[in-house]
Amino acid sequence: MRKFSKPDEEAEINMTPMLDIVFIMLIFFIVTASFVKESGLDVNKPPPSEQQPQDDKKKNILIQIDASNRIFVNLRPIDIASVRANVERLHAENPEGVVVIQPASDAFAGLVVEIYDQARQAGVDNVSIAEATQ
Amino acid sequence: MREHTQQEEEAEINMTPMLDIVFIMLIFFIVTATFIKESGITVEKPSAVTAEKQDRASILIAITDNDEVWINRQKVDIKSLRTNIEKLHAENPQGTVVVQADVRSKAGLLIAVTEAVNASGVPSVAVATEEK
Repeated sequence: MRKFSKPDEEAEINMTPMLDIVFIMLIFFIVTASFVKESGLDVNKPPPSEQQPQDDKKKNILIQIDASNRIFVNLRPIDIASVRANVERLHAENPEGVVVIQPASDAFAGLVVEIYDQARQAGVDNVSIAEATQ
Repeated sequence: MREHTQQEEEAEINMTPMLDIVFIMLIFFIVTATFIKESGITVEKPSAVTAEKQDRASILIAITDNDEVWINRQKVDIKSLRTNIEKLHAENPQGTVVVQADVRSKAGLLIAVTEAVNASGVPSVAVATEEK
């Protein structure tokens, strides 16, 4: 039988085991906390029901990238630096037109992202990435 | 001057304020714990100006420059990617997916991965970028 070294008048709860558990939980959550914040471009596809391919084929801005990473805006070869200017000009002619990026499957993904970014900088909100039709 | 209501023989430290702080820290870390599924490999991300912070991102998928797909610290085949995403998405249904495509990875693979994410029912998918 253990004896209390100093019996108090009022009953006291021993907090030490709870404190141990709380500290261990605290350390666990501090260690596992990962404040990773990725920044990225949303590449959500527009719902397919909205598209009328026959109607706005002429209005759309088609950017193609071939397997050797050459860029064609509406079938005209251009440089990567002038993508934004070209998209701005074509978008001013047809404000409803959307931008469709069609990369060849061997093109670089970095180039697709860069063109996507430039098209958004040119003020086009509706940019989609489509698979190239062979 | 305040007086001590109950003078004891041995000095005792009042633990209550420390306990309050510890509990508040504990609650903070529990609430902010998001448990992101890291892809487990570092890639060279393309840079972009119009990128937005992906606050709800919970699954990261990496595509390396030699066209391997990594998810949850393991290399997976593109065919089994959808099953993997569905499994991880079930653990955190509010989370979105971020695809970390290397600058020199194939665009066809990026589209294939995006389609696998869409097919597995994740509401939003983004491509990871770096600030310019």
